[in-house]
Amino acid sequence: MPPRKLRFGWLDALILALLGGALGYVLHQAQDHFHYNWDWRLIPGYFLRYDPAQGQWVLNLLGQGLLATIRLALWGSLLAALIGGVMGVCRVAHSLFLRLLSRSYVELIRNMPPLVFIFIFYFFISSQLMPALDVEGWLVDAGPTTLSVLALLFGPPELLSNFLSGLICLALFEGAYVTEIVRAGIEAVPKGQWEGGRALGLNSRQVLREIVLPQAVQRVIPPLAGQFISLIKDSSLISLISIQELTFTGTELAVSSGQVFEVWLTVAALYFLLCFILARLFRRLELRLARHRQR
Amino acid sequence: MLDVLAFLVLMVGLGWLIVSGAGSLQYNWQWYRIPPYLYRFEDGAFHPGPLLLGLGVTLELTAWSLALTVVLGLAAALLQRSTSWVGHVLARFYVEIVRNTPMLVQLYLVYFVLAPILAMDRFVAAVLALAIFEGAFAAEIFRAGIEAIPAGQWEAAHALGLSRYALYRCVILPQAIRLILPPLTGLAVSLIKHSALVSVIAVADLTTEGRNLIADTFMTFEVWFTVAALYLALTISLSLWVGWLERRLPVRGGEYG
Repeated sequence: MPPRKLRFGWLDALILALLGGALGYVLHQAQDHFHYNWDWRLIPGYFLRYDPAQGQWVLNLLGQGLLATIRLALWGSLLAALIGGVMGVCRVAHSLFLRLLSRSYVELIRNMPPLVFIFIFYFFISSQLMPALDVEGWLVDAGPTTLSVLALLFGPPELLSNFLSGLICLALFEGAYVTEIVRAGIEAVPKGQWEGGRALGLNSRQVLREIVLPQAVQRVIPPLAGQFISLIKDSSLISLISIQELTFTGTELAVSSGQVFEVWLTVAALYFLLCFILARLFRRLELRLARHRQR
Repeated sequence: MLDVLAFLVLMVGLGWLIVSGAGSLQYNWQWYRIPPYLYRFEDGAFHPGPLLLGLGVTLELTAWSLALTVVLGLAAALLQRSTSWVGHVLARFYVEIVRNTPMLVQLYLVYFVLAPILAMDRFVAAVLALAIFEGAFAAEIFRAGIEAIPAGQWEAAHALGLSRYALYRCVILPQAIRLILPPLTGLAVSLIKHSALVSVIAVADLTTEGRNLIADTFMTFEVWFTVAALYLALTISLSLWVGWLERRLPVRGGEYG
């Protein structure tokens, strides 16, 4: 079906009328029944505020939340890529044990609501894993330089164990999706490549490492970029186990400031900008990569 | 065989780790208290417990939002394909905004911003938020399904002098539905999973009932495992059905030529 030229017809008029009607109704309702005081001027102050005690500008709640979300996304995707890479190779392994293991990991996580998984897992991580890792004790011994490096990488040290719990939940959850992407990438490499490798006298591990994986990596990068954006969106779920990222600080702010509408619209806009810009960026990179490969 | 054994050993080991971990917390397992929360028999009559009632609400929520999702998705897909400029822009905006913001934030926006203005009840807000979210994904499914119909079909319908309505109604959609049905059922699975989120706004679905039970009884692990198993049973049976459906409705590409 050839694409047609867009024009302005009766349908446009109808849609505009409907949209106008709906918007008018909402505004009318908001005006008449719901006396809400819009005040957008306070919003910038929630990102940055001037601290008279320190005599400098410091990040306020929304700024801290945004930064924590970005940190979660970066570390979470690294960890998820690691889990997904290992599990993805297990998915196509010869050993039935490894296949069973990775298959049950993937099916379990993909068939359970993320919320339920996060709630269950959070109990284990916070009650078992965190004491086992002894993050708190380790922090007490850490010197000031270590602490400042940690603050740069993972946010405020007093929230480190909280941040790590959220991070592990998120990475385990996204890892299942990365596993499937990696498996699809490996399976997309033509069979002839495996056979050719074996014919050259390489063993199957060498074939995987030297021949198949390098080709799979190229195919895996575009869907992984998409998964990275999904991870940013899913990181909002972590707010429900009190990890202090953007959605959590948004909730706090909406309650404490009472400016529910402005805060939620701002939070949504922030996520949108982050994801939309990244999606565009990845799309351009992908196109450039495709062009590069054609030459 | 050895592998299956090793796998079983690993699973048992993991199970032991969970139990012993709980033991070190002085956790008191009370599995026997779970069945009454699922269902009871009194005087020979069947009484569903809170968990089954929650499952019912989850199913109800899913059914309503699935219906609305299909409407929204089809509308967005057709608008994207229409010649209408406003419709095109509107559909693009809708899909881009929904796909680039978290579902949770959309839910908060609907519940905290839209619902008080329009005096919506929380169940309606939940259905609306879920449908808006999944509708954007349904739009892509419908679009892909419609675009997969070969050009010859469009041209033949035009040659027969069919109107646009008759073209979609009699030629395109009946063929597209076979391509659309399997991914749409996948969408239903995703809808069930995302419906757990509405427990955040206290709609009495399965997750909410589970959280309430935990607050009442402190049987954290038993309740969460039961809730997870119920969701797993629901989604896995749906997934199996999708697989069966995909085999039943083979897409014969060559047929259209």
